[in-house]
Amino acid sequence: MPSPGTIAGPLQALIDEFAKFPTIGPKTAARLAFYLLSRPRHEAQALAEAILGMKDKVRFCSVCFALTQDDPCDLCTDERRESAICVVAEAKDVYAIERTGSYKGRYHVLGGLISPIDGIGPGQLRIRELNDRIGVEHPNEIIIATNPNSEGEATALYLSRVIAPLGVAVTRLAYGLPIGGDLDYADEITLSKSLEGRTALS
Amino acid sequence: MRLERLALSNVRNYALLDLEPQSGLNVFIGANAQGKSNLLEAIAVLGIGKSFRSGRDADMIRDGCERGMIRGEAVRGEGRVQIGCSIVKNGNSTRKTFTRAGRNVRYAQFLGALTVVTFVPADLQLVTGTPGERRAFLNTALAQQDAEYYRALSHYQAALRQKSALLRADGNPDEELLAVYDRTLAESGAIVVLARQSFVEALAREAAIAHERWSGRGERLELRYAPNVAFEAATQEAVRAALASRLREVARTERLRRMPLAGPHRDDLLATLDGRPLSNFGSQGQQRTAVLALKVAEYLVMRDRSGEAPLLLLDDVLSELDEQRATAFLGGVGDYEQAYVTATQRPPRLPAQSALFIVDAAQVRREGSVAC
Ligand SMILES: [Zn+2]
Repeated sequence: MPSPGTIAGPLQALIDEFAKFPTIGPKTAARLAFYLLSRPRHEAQALAEAILGMKDKVRFCSVCFALTQDDPCDLCTDERRESAICVVAEAKDVYAIERTGSYKGRYHVLGGLISPIDGIGPGQLRIRELNDRIGVEHPNEIIIATNPNSEGEATALYLSRVIAPLGVAVTRLAYGLPIGGDLDYADEITLSKSLEGRTALS
Repeated sequence: MRLERLALSNVRNYALLDLEPQSGLNVFIGANAQGKSNLLEAIAVLGIGKSFRSGRDADMIRDGCERGMIRGEAVRGEGRVQIGCSIVKNGNSTRKTFTRAGRNVRYAQFLGALTVVTFVPADLQLVTGTPGERRAFLNTALAQQDAEYYRALSHYQAALRQKSALLRADGNPDEELLAVYDRTLAESGAIVVLARQSFVEALAREAAIAHERWSGRGERLELRYAPNVAFEAATQEAVRAALASRLREVARTERLRRMPLAGPHRDDLLATLDGRPLSNFGSQGQQRTAVLALKVAEYLVMRDRSGEAPLLLLDDVLSELDEQRATAFLGGVGDYEQAYVTATQRPPRLPAQSALFIVDAAQVRREGSVAC
């Protein structure tokens, strides 16, 4: 491989951009850039447009805070969906659960987990919005699907304490997930099973 | 149990090392700063995942390198397992990864593959040192033998850090959130407290026996667990209830002082000689003998609980002791399966089953292994 000084400027600029991605090191970044260089122009154009289209058109649903093009999102407007609300930490968790195909209710994205060490208290998350939704939508169940690590557990316990007085059943995913695991990396079968076997939180 | 192979790459002053330790006693002899202690440190990392020295993990990586790797083959019963630890520089931070049987595992799954009892000169202050040092002693021994203890301790410490941050940040912290952390502290804390209680009871028995054998004057050594929160019955529910109730009592003061005030993170282990606290009243000789008894007891209890003798790692400590105490210590542990000792000079008398290694500028040579 040529040394960095000999690479054409625009190519190096793309390598630098790829190298900012998670899990991508400088070597992989260079491979991706050289690959794109070898492809026809229209493919590069499609990629560039997909990236900009995503940035311009994808936003948070104002009801559940999942990612969407239309506001409110399809998950919120679909009449066939059940009234249960599945509470997750991040928007990407919605996709992990949707992938299982075994959940037919709605979602609520908190926007993180409670962690005072990182300066995140209940006030920094969308908990008041969840409370408001419970008052309006009267869900038959709140399913808390935060990761089974210590912040996820603390957030789940906190939510159950503040939601229980509202008279709605609060359940937690029955984790076949590894302790300290991540919804993101759980396979669909494990996640489906833990959705089926959810337990009441007290 | 024993270690049959130790392989280092870019660890401390070792670029590359492949060593076959023997059953019985392994003695590393060499001048200072040649790399004797680094070998014992590497073995300790295979056992407890971290160094017995203070300092950062990054210090274990050889100068100018990005990654250090320690691998070993542990043999217990009839099984053998490959274990490894990699320390990788990652910008300003350091990342440690663990392997067991060739697969990446979490620290919790790595712990326990190879159990070690370390004894270093700093341990000689165990009786007179801070309660934190004595809790660290209990934690290191218990985490190796009891996976549930390690899990509970991690949960406890995580909740404690969060609660500290919450109290520190906010003069008017969220009551419901404090209650969440207190619940975890009481539940995990109960597991920690009960495990410490039964471990210290076992330690106390063995330490008293060893001490009685050594001390001609018939002095009686007593070890006692001193939990920060007293409890009535040694059951999980009773301890949990005691912790929960104490946490409610101190809640107001905790908010005023903005720090957590009660729980097993304030426990201690007390040693008395004929009823008098050793930390204040004992002579240096009496304090040292008590530490030796404590270390012998740690070894014996770990062996009896798991049915496998842990590795003994004695770094520089025998030279700190007079010959009588050194002999008494090795006699106290008796039939160790594998032990490692560092020394600057060849010890005058060695047990029959011992291997001598000369350590010189990061080169390790088995004495007598050169063909003549
Ligand atoms: Zn929505």
